[in-house]
Amino acid sequence: MKILGISGHYHDSAAALVIDGMPVAAVQEERLSRHKNDAGFPLAAIEWCLDHAGLSPDDLDAVIFYEKPTLKFDRVLTGMLQGWPGSWRSYPKAMKNMLGEKLWVRGLIASQLGIGTRRVHCIEHHQSHAAAAFLTAPTQEAAIITADGVGEWATLTVGTGTKRADGSSEIRMLRELRFPHSLGLFYSAVTAYLGFAVNEGEYKVMGLASYGQPTRIDDMRRLLRPTADGAFTLDLAFFDFLGKVESGFSDRFVALFGPPRKRWQPIDLRSEQGRRFADIAASAQALLEEVMVGIATDLQRETGMRDLCLGGGVALNGVANARILREAGFARLFVPSAPGDAGCALGAALYADRIMFGQPHKPVPDHPFWGPKPDEATLLRIAQEDGIPAARSEQVIEEVADALAADKIVGWVDGALEYGPRALGHRSILAAPHYVAMRDRLNRDIKYREEFRPFAPVVAAEHADRFFELPPGGARLARFMSGVVPVRPEWQSRLAGITHVDGTARVQVLERDMEPRLHALLEAYGRRSGVPVLLNTSFNLAGEPIVNTVSEAYSTFRRCGIDLLVAGNVCVTKPRVVRAQILENVA
Amino acid sequence: MGAHGLQGDAPREAAQQNRSVAFFGDLFGMILWPVHRLIWADPQRRARKLLEFAEVEASGGRDLVRAAELTHDPVLRARYLVHARDEARHADMFQARGRALRKDAAGEAKEGLADWMAPGERGMEGLDMSREKDADLLAFLHLSESAAARDFARYARVIDKDPATRILFQRILHDEDEHKSYTHGELRRIAPRRTRRILWWARLRRLWKAYLRFATALAGVIAGVALTLQFFLLLPPFAWMAKRNAKREKPGWVTVDERAAR
Repeated sequence: MKILGISGHYHDSAAALVIDGMPVAAVQEERLSRHKNDAGFPLAAIEWCLDHAGLSPDDLDAVIFYEKPTLKFDRVLTGMLQGWPGSWRSYPKAMKNMLGEKLWVRGLIASQLGIGTRRVHCIEHHQSHAAAAFLTAPTQEAAIITADGVGEWATLTVGTGTKRADGSSEIRMLRELRFPHSLGLFYSAVTAYLGFAVNEGEYKVMGLASYGQPTRIDDMRRLLRPTADGAFTLDLAFFDFLGKVESGFSDRFVALFGPPRKRWQPIDLRSEQGRRFADIAASAQALLEEVMVGIATDLQRETGMRDLCLGGGVALNGVANARILREAGFARLFVPSAPGDAGCALGAALYADRIMFGQPHKPVPDHPFWGPKPDEATLLRIAQEDGIPAARSEQVIEEVADALAADKIVGWVDGALEYGPRALGHRSILAAPHYVAMRDRLNRDIKYREEFRPFAPVVAAEHADRFFELPPGGARLARFMSGVVPVRPEWQSRLAGITHVDGTARVQVLERDMEPRLHALLEAYGRRSGVPVLLNTSFNLAGEPIVNTVSEAYSTFRRCGIDLLVAGNVCVTKPRVVRAQILENVA
Repeated sequence: MGAHGLQGDAPREAAQQNRSVAFFGDLFGMILWPVHRLIWADPQRRARKLLEFAEVEASGGRDLVRAAELTHDPVLRARYLVHARDEARHADMFQARGRALRKDAAGEAKEGLADWMAPGERGMEGLDMSREKDADLLAFLHLSESAAARDFARYARVIDKDPATRILFQRILHDEDEHKSYTHGELRRIAPRRTRRILWWARLRRLWKAYLRFATALAGVIAGVALTLQFFLLLPPFAWMAKRNAKREKPGWVTVDERAAR
């Protein structure tokens, strides 16, 4: 069967194509449209998936949307009614939003693709998350937790998944928490309070948390209280999900925690106010971890299963993931490369294939590389047109290792684009991990971002335990950079560029079979430096999506302090003279 | 104009072409002069607008980067990258001044900003760069830069009690004039016989986009009024029922059976 999965209309639109039970293409719309977190209908992503497989829309057996618009409308309308009359400001906006397009998504998909509506189906949002987490994981049986802001009604679900010997698959939901009681919305409200963009800045809260102490956790517990059955409930007096949709926190929240940070206000961690923000971040983070560990522990006891699959935006919280792995009693924790809404496109397509249409299960290749591949010849042409030194080389790994050892910063483009928010070795900026100065240089010259945000390392799997304190199952969690673990104390000074203030790192443990070229580069760098670890950050500038094509990589290279751009076997070097000329030559 | 500055007469010709358009722009500006003066008088509001302008400039810069990535013309690629760098620098300048004003001024600013105050570019007005031909994009950029230059000159004139912000506008205005000039020069280079036609077509497109913005805003207002009336006139009994049902819901987990029963 040929099944297209689609997610979109909220944030992180994406499309994924499954043919005969195997993913063949998946890409986020933002990587093609170049609008970060593009929430529009993912037409470009759909077109690319179909083109990649040589299909036309008529060839598709089914198109699956990742959530049920009528259920979502039910929740939005009920929320407005429950908030009456206070919801009067948000009601027109919400209704225009839902009635304008979102409610009619089946018709929209059918008309955009030129197919009949009978071939378009919708499944529930958290089913998509669960399928993305479980059906892609190399496990036959696992407990499943999905947690995000909100889907239709559910905000957090627990269940189990089974792949049987006869080829059939089952995802069984046991129970759910419903809007407005949401761990994701709680964290997003704190994100907004700290002046970061919701659905984008949550990882900044996690980074900031390491600089603070959870001194306000008792106050946080007033916001989010446990229930007798092991779940939790939000005290809605502290939140305003209807009146202030963009922020979500109420005046009472502000009365409790003090004035919120303005978006443009820098965080100075030496100031009293900066420390207050860091403590609030640390408190929210600690409570989120506590709740997730509690729910996971209960589920492990209930199911007795050894594996846990985690999906939804909350699964991007690597600190919480690592705590779950250490404390909840599971032997392995699987987080897909795209646990957020973008990953739902693949989840929805797999769910339809395995469960809706009952096709036999097939193991999904255990990598995140489902997007477009770069065209190195184009890079060579563009660089030569601009008079920038560029050449093909068969010794590219050794040359790049030399450059990294000489403290050069490398833009690395290799193979199919990653599916998900992390750069896992195909669209990465690589640098030596040893010095704080390198981290500061990256922040200053390339990423232009806050000083409190750490950079992640990538390490060859064979050497991971030497440098990082991986818990049992930690290497698996770190496959897609989904867990934060301590850097071994004796290595922290030699890995200062990637060691966060609390001595941890969000490491990627790279198996040779997942990305042989980057693995070879790590080994080559290890031969030079004695440390087969590199700093690995996403290949993009602030406010832009990760690069897709070589043209985008090249324009990024031209605009920032990257010294060397590599795509396949093509190396483009930025000489100092040219760097200055680039900026001024036509002025 | 640099390496490809064929275009000794280009600014003059461009100015001639734009004269009639500029006349109406200036007339409009004169009519709105007291409004601008009032708006820019308040330091908090000024700060907010500058921060908003920073976002518009940053967005315009990203669009220009996209244009550089998509063009097959190496000269345009270089020009767009330099232009994008200028826009990013403007964004930084606006942001720095906006932040400084926020620090200086007492009290807290209210959130929100009227869209019509954004400078001429409006972040390229949502152009889909992948569908724009080089000539069309250059014409669009030229007109946008002209409008931005007019707007910034107008703002600089009304801010007489804040020399730092006035100087900021004047510095950016200088860059906008450069951009106006190079876009026209490049348009003449790549479409020498069609320059006028392309520019007029771009003007019509801008007009159409302005109409669409206005129509969308008007439709939004009408829909908002209708839905607000509906909210207060039709929903109260349903709201009562929804609130009653909400009180009956127990906190915590909802099992599959309970969910099916709902």
